[in-house]
Amino acid sequence: MANRLEGIFEQFPNRRREDMIPLLQAIQDQQGYLSEETIKAVGDYLDISINKIYGVATFYDNFRFGPVGKYHIRLCHGTACHVAGAAKLQKELQRLLKIKDGECDKNGLFSLEVVSCIGACGLAPLIEVNEAYHTSLNTASLKQLIDSIREKENAAI
Amino acid sequence: MEFKIEVNDKFITVNEGDSLLTALRSNGIKIPTLCHMNRFSATGACRLCVVEVEGKRDLITSCSYPVEEGMKVTTNSQRVIQARKTLVELLLSNHPDDCLYCTRNGICELQWLAAEMNVKERKFFGEKNIHHPDYSSTSIARDPAKCVLCSRCVRICEEVQLVTAIDFISRGNQTTVNSAFNKGLNVSSCINCGQCVQVCPTAALTDISHVEKVQAALGKDSKKVVFQVSPSALASFAVYLNMKIKDDPQGIIVSALKKCGAAKVFDLGFAIDLNIMEEAQTLVSILKEKSGQKFPLLSSCCPAWVRYAEEFRTEWLPMLATAKSAQQIMGTLIKSHYAESSGINSENIYSVTVLPCTAKKFEASREENTHKGISETDAVLTVRELFQLFRCYGLDIGQLQAEKPDQPYNRSSVAATEAGYSGGKAEAVAREVFRMLGGKPEDFRFTIPKNLAGKKETKISIGDHQLGFAWVSSIKEADDYIAMLLEEERDDIHYIEVMACLGGCAGGGGQPISRGFEKSIARKKMCMEMEKQNQLTFASENPALLSMLKSKKVFSDQEKVSDWLKTSVKKA
Repeated sequence: MANRLEGIFEQFPNRRREDMIPLLQAIQDQQGYLSEETIKAVGDYLDISINKIYGVATFYDNFRFGPVGKYHIRLCHGTACHVAGAAKLQKELQRLLKIKDGECDKNGLFSLEVVSCIGACGLAPLIEVNEAYHTSLNTASLKQLIDSIREKENAAI
Repeated sequence: MEFKIEVNDKFITVNEGDSLLTALRSNGIKIPTLCHMNRFSATGACRLCVVEVEGKRDLITSCSYPVEEGMKVTTNSQRVIQARKTLVELLLSNHPDDCLYCTRNGICELQWLAAEMNVKERKFFGEKNIHHPDYSSTSIARDPAKCVLCSRCVRICEEVQLVTAIDFISRGNQTTVNSAFNKGLNVSSCINCGQCVQVCPTAALTDISHVEKVQAALGKDSKKVVFQVSPSALASFAVYLNMKIKDDPQGIIVSALKKCGAAKVFDLGFAIDLNIMEEAQTLVSILKEKSGQKFPLLSSCCPAWVRYAEEFRTEWLPMLATAKSAQQIMGTLIKSHYAESSGINSENIYSVTVLPCTAKKFEASREENTHKGISETDAVLTVRELFQLFRCYGLDIGQLQAEKPDQPYNRSSVAATEAGYSGGKAEAVAREVFRMLGGKPEDFRFTIPKNLAGKKETKISIGDHQLGFAWVSSIKEADDYIAMLLEEERDDIHYIEVMACLGGCAGGGGQPISRGFEKSIARKKMCMEMEKQNQLTFASENPALLSMLKSKKVFSDQEKVSDWLKTSVKKA
């Protein structure tokens, strides 16, 4: 993993304090989340206390501190989605996947994250699976979507 | 430049560039604050310092607003008072109602504010955040439930101590002051200096208390509880109780501890004398190129500083003096020399030190300071805890008859008292070195500026030698100074006294809670008063110490002497 980080560090040769957030973003893009080890490595690289980095990272909702599944589901819970029944969708998702907000299932297939508005209010309620939007959902179409992913995965085995 | 502003229909004179809060306070106008600290940048976090300024729609926080010419300020309007009260009520809405069980009951700034604002009932009901207290550290306990997020601890830890062991984690109503990854302080970079405890307005940061442990030992017939009180704790005790030197604070403490059931009460200054002699000896042997060590020699009696060096400056560790700290010298002496000479089994001795320091608790727990798994020092009481112990036993300090400390460790020299404030120890070591190199005692000159800030270096000359002594207090000052010294490759400084707390032990993390530096200066002055009363100028003149060193038993066993006096630091 250290080697993989080296590649990212090379993009920030000046080791400036203001490089912290872009650096963390790049690491999360590559690894899916920020682990303790990576935060420590960033601390060493930028010469900033790990507590400071952890403090900044926890301030922003977009940073994660645990691994994500192969299919990372972001459920929108903005105002429009809320009115259109996002709470119902969340309940159904948690029932189907047997995980809660911020968790990843045991075999690493699905992870769930409830987020504020992702900017597609006209298509509410919606979820995002690995950056692809699935819009105007109801509990039935949601189940269909999850089932189809599971089938695809089973076929692959 | 000075000009006038109008406050509550009166004109006051203010200095340009001052914050409104500073201007108001220096004119005797009371403004409540929780987050404000002198000498630190304003954060405007608690908002309790709000005032009304004519022409401004909103209330403004006076701590972060500069004075302007022609300003019209109201500090006590209905609107201001109501706003402050609501702020306190909101803070209380997420605060436990357990003042009766709180260590800071009676000295809590939030409690005072609630009383000042006439808060009489809970106004905001709702869910409280669930927090987990952290008792993992050897020195400092954290209870985030009592935290008001004023950020004083965060700022002192980062800006004065360069440690950043704690910081704001998460945001909004989920915010806590916590260590990285929400793990315990014991695995963080915390150096146990206790400055955060000093600045905390509530009981979110407190001591890991040893009072109960000590009480339990005092209650056991089989245990001989021996106390060692440091001169700096004595000075603090005297200042807290407004005692004069003629009241004999040492005698009173001895008497009070005996009333609590202490078997013996020793003078920890005895071991400080030994520590100073050992450090002076090291300096002389480097000078004579007998040891491989190079200058400058860094003092190692401050456990928070040693921890900092181990955590952040491992490259400096070879420069640290190898002398054991006074607490550990005393601990070893009591469990070996004293136990043998008095015929008590060392397992039945319970050794307690009293110091104005939280980091000493950590030091006592260090592996190299244990012998076969048993600590050389069993418990460490901060001055705060000493008063707690006295309160438990219901002692009327004013009625006590002074008693003398017990032999064999009953005396200490001026040097031991000097170690209680920044600059003092450097002087004590310099004096000892001066004597060791054959200087006449009466020729010794060493100048320390009277206030806490100022010049931090001085030179003494003995024969052909010109020796430089420096002293720094607070980790920032120490780190900056030593880094500068090494970068400029200066070789004129031979000894640096490093204290982790501002002003040295006089401003220690285990001192009674007080705001600002006044008390710290008063404690330093008290130390100096105590020095005037003491005839013993040189550590190496201490008769108690000489008689111990003269006893044949001790000298024949070099290994034992080194076991008493030397320690090692973690070579990471």
